[in-house]
Amino acid sequence: MHEANADRGRRRRFDRIVAVFHQDMYRYAAWLSRDKAIAEDVVQEALLRAWKSLDALRDDAAAKPWLLTIVRRENARYFERRRLETVDIDNLTASQAALLAEQPDEELADLRAAIYALDDDYREPLVLQVLLGLSTKEIAAQLGLKQGAVLTRLHRARAKLKETMDSEAGA
Amino acid sequence: MNCEEYREAIGADPSFDGGARHVAECAACQAYRSDMLALEQQISRALAIEVPRLVMPELPEVAADNVVTLAAPRRVSKPAWFAMAATVALAAVLGLRMLSSGIEYASLADEVLAHVDHEPYAMRVTDTPVSDQRLARVVASDVARMDHSGGLITYAQTCVINGNDVPHLVLQGEYGPVMILLMPDEMIPEAVPLSDENSQGVILPVGNGSIAIIGGREERLEAIEQSVLDSVTWST
Repeated sequence: MHEANADRGRRRRFDRIVAVFHQDMYRYAAWLSRDKAIAEDVVQEALLRAWKSLDALRDDAAAKPWLLTIVRRENARYFERRRLETVDIDNLTASQAALLAEQPDEELADLRAAIYALDDDYREPLVLQVLLGLSTKEIAAQLGLKQGAVLTRLHRARAKLKETMDSEAGA
Repeated sequence: MNCEEYREAIGADPSFDGGARHVAECAACQAYRSDMLALEQQISRALAIEVPRLVMPELPEVAADNVVTLAAPRRVSKPAWFAMAATVALAAVLGLRMLSSGIEYASLADEVLAHVDHEPYAMRVTDTPVSDQRLARVVASDVARMDHSGGLITYAQTCVINGNDVPHLVLQGEYGPVMILLMPDEMIPEAVPLSDENSQGVILPVGNGSIAIIGGREERLEAIEQSVLDSVTWST
C-alpha cells in the first residue's frame, strides 16, 4: 500500500515537472539538432532517462538545468549512434526544413534561417540565454566553459545575426 | 568604457545596464543599443518554434535498487533577470517593434495566446518576486491598482496587445508560471476560454476592461482567477 502510494507520488512529481518543462526540452533539442524529428526522438529518450533518474533530483527548483543537461547528453548520444553528418543548409531533409517552415513573416523567417546557420558554438549559448533564460554563469556551467568564453560567443552570435539581417535589409 | 567595450557587453547581453555614462554621451552606441534590443525581441520570437503535443513514452517500473544515480544537481542560481532589467526604453522599443511587426491576429484571444511565446523567458519557475518598485512602474496607478495578494509575482513588463500598452505579469502557480495580462481597454461581453496545445486559460471581463490568465494545461486556474480578480482594481 505504502509502496503504491510512493509510486503514484513519484509519477505525479514527474508529470508535474514534465508539464512545466516539456516545451523548453523540445525547443532546446530542436535548436541543438536543427531537426524537428530528431528533437522528438531526443526528447523521448530524455524523458525515459529523466524518469529513471528522478530520485537523483533532490530539489525540483533545479529541474530545469537538470532536464536540459539530460537533453544535451541525449542529443550527443543520438548523433554519436548515427554518426550524422553536419547539416548542409542548402540541402535540408524535410524534417530539417520543417524547423524553418513555420514562420509567418519574412523577416522572422530570415532571422530563423540565420540562427539555423550559426555554428553550434554560437547557437547553443544564444538559445540557452534568450529562449531558456539561463544566466551566463549557468550557461558556462552547462557547456563546461569559462564565463568569459560564453560572453564572447554570445557577442559574436548576435554580431553575426545583426550583420546577416542588416545585409538582408540592404539587399 | 569605450565604444568597443560597451558594444561587446551589449552584444553578450542586451539587458546590460552598465556604461550609463558612456551611452549617455555616445549617440552611436545609443543607436546600437536600440538595434540590439529590437534584434533581441526578434531572436526570441524566432527561437520560439511550435512545440508538438507531449507524447509521454511508456515509463518502466523503477525498482528502488535500480535507480540510476546521477551527480547531485546544482541548485538553480538566481534567475537571470536580463529581461526584467531592461529599462523603460526597452519597453518603448519593443512596443514599437510589435506595432510595426505587421502581424494581424484574428481575435484578441489569438493575440493573447501568441503573446505567451513572445517572451518565453518570462515563463520561468522561480521563487524570486518582482520588486514593489518594478510592479508599481508596470502597473501604473492611473491604470490599475494591484497588490501582492494575487500570488507570487515574478515578472512584470509593459507589453503591447491590440495596440495598447498593457501590464504583462507572471505569477507562480501550483504547476508552473501563469501569465496575466491586465487589459483595461479591452471590454468583452463574456469570458473567453483560451486553449492551445500547451496552454489553457481565459479572458475575463472586468468592468470596462478584461484580464487574461493563461497557464499550462495542468494548472488549476480557478483559484488563481479569483485571487487575481480580488487583487486588481481599475483606476478608471
